[in-house]
Amino acid sequence: MSYTELTVWTRGIIMDKEGRDIVNSVAASARLEGKFAQAMENYVDNPDRTNCPTRKYCRVSDSVIENELTYENEQPNIIVLVEGTMVKGWDYMRGMPPGGTLVINTHYTPEYMIRFVPGAERLAQLVCVDAAKLADHKWLYYRLGELGLDRLSTEGAAERNKSIAPDIAAPLIAAVVKTTGIVKMATIEPMIANKHAFRLALEELHIMPLNPVAA
Amino acid sequence: MPTATEVKKRTVRINGCVAAAQAAKYADVDVITAYPIRPYTATMMALAQMVANGELDAEYIVADSEHSQLSIAHGAASSGARVFTGSSGVGVQFAYELYSPISGSRMPVQMMIADRTLDPPGDFGSEHTDALSTRDMGWLMGWSCDAQEAFDNHLMAYRIGEDPRVLLPQMVCQDGFFVSHITSDVELPDSGQVKEFLPPYKHPYPLDPRHPVSHGPQIMPEQGPPLQLERARAMEDSMAVIEQVHDEFANIFGRRYDPWIEEFMTDGAEVVFFLQGAHAVTARFAIQHMRDKGLKVGLVRLRTIRPYPTDRVKEVLSKFKVVGVVETNMGLGSVSSGGVLYSEVCAALYESQQRPLVVSFMAGMGGEAIVMKEFYWMTQKMMEAQKQGKIEKRTHWVGFEE
Repeated sequence: MSYTELTVWTRGIIMDKEGRDIVNSVAASARLEGKFAQAMENYVDNPDRTNCPTRKYCRVSDSVIENELTYENEQPNIIVLVEGTMVKGWDYMRGMPPGGTLVINTHYTPEYMIRFVPGAERLAQLVCVDAAKLADHKWLYYRLGELGLDRLSTEGAAERNKSIAPDIAAPLIAAVVKTTGIVKMATIEPMIANKHAFRLALEELHIMPLNPVAA
Repeated sequence: MPTATEVKKRTVRINGCVAAAQAAKYADVDVITAYPIRPYTATMMALAQMVANGELDAEYIVADSEHSQLSIAHGAASSGARVFTGSSGVGVQFAYELYSPISGSRMPVQMMIADRTLDPPGDFGSEHTDALSTRDMGWLMGWSCDAQEAFDNHLMAYRIGEDPRVLLPQMVCQDGFFVSHITSDVELPDSGQVKEFLPPYKHPYPLDPRHPVSHGPQIMPEQGPPLQLERARAMEDSMAVIEQVHDEFANIFGRRYDPWIEEFMTDGAEVVFFLQGAHAVTARFAIQHMRDKGLKVGLVRLRTIRPYPTDRVKEVLSKFKVVGVVETNMGLGSVSSGGVLYSEVCAALYESQQRPLVVSFMAGMGGEAIVMKEFYWMTQKMMEAQKQGKIEKRTHWVGFEE
């Protein structure tokens, strides 16, 4: 029986959709594969406040999810930092069981980034991907107009681009799926709007193997 | 008003807030009044998108506060419109003045409540205190435990509230986050089914310059009691209508709900949980696990609290030895010094020949999920009470005791 928790750390409003797209696409793919899955992406962490750290959660299980009403993932196996500077400052690694995966959106290497990771001994791998380079350096600039509306606490209702992962979420999803196998590549790829960035990322991941879990 | 576009039955994955908005769309509401407060905001946003996309032809009015929101809803309903509004937490409180006038003028306004803890502190979590504090204002009221039930309850509430024998407003409540922001599969019906179930709304005495009527005039004190009695009778008479509407709903949509109480694994149960809303989801899992271990525990979920099914509660709960009321609301200084459900349960049981012990649990406060081990702990407390033949104390604060 397998049960996997994925927690995405992102920034309120400016990268809110990016975080949501990751958990929603993974959960939707898992359900297509006949698994039980949940994505929670719009609640406690004040997603309507600009730049504030917010979390998005996803759970994938072979059996029915009994802790359906528990908001936070208590033991995340996979953590994604949608914005690289989030690597410092708080303990996003808390609760991670041994053998976890950390994916960071950064142009730095894992060898450089690992010094900032609290409790890195729990990681089986640290994965760095330069999502902004692979997607579009100007992705945020294009969203400025709707971000202005989003500041009015519209909870994403003002977003014009309703497609899944048109921007930096695409390479991050590629990194999660390729390095963890939480869902099958063939299931999730058709959902991704920015297929170009998704495929580029599959070739351009910087993976640092760490402590594998003893079998 | 033109009817909603013809749509075929389909299953979608949506949360409780969107399910409520979908129900309003299917009900082809005429006027929506809105003012943002989380978690209700998600319903307001979904409706705004439907109106903007042309899926729903309705007046969409963003008020300057919840008080205005309900005032506009009152006015719109008085002119004969089918009205949809909603709020959460302190928003529900700010509109308090309007609840009695709306039910007193017998306007079947529908209000979606996505529960939120009252301040302080500013907490997004679900406690039922916001809506429960208005429970005696003449609004029909009940809780859903998932998005499908929320959708269904909204449709049924319009049908019940608009029945000429009832004509009362409805609060259709769902737990904030636990229902409002968790997605699940929801079957949206054929528009034809809804047309069959919910006829277009026609208020008998709308404000109309061509046929002048008076609404809400100043009256003399002796004119008050008959009006109050009439409202009280409407609430009582609604019980038969509620049962009839649930039957018709089952016949048309194929989902049958007991209008008052859901019993889960109560066969042979000696101790039972009594609660409203979403925590039933975890309770069911916990009870299954405890049943596997041979514990005689079950669940009784209240689906409608206003009108309160006194006789049914008495009949059902008298079968058991101990009832554990899971409050999820605050009744500071109340009968049990815990929540307000305790007194509702005890009052219903007073006339019973076989009264179970009743204990109140303050759990899920602040919108915390009630986790499996807390249900196990509460069951232990109930079993100890059963063994000793008396309760240790009326109210336990779960998580604050050994």
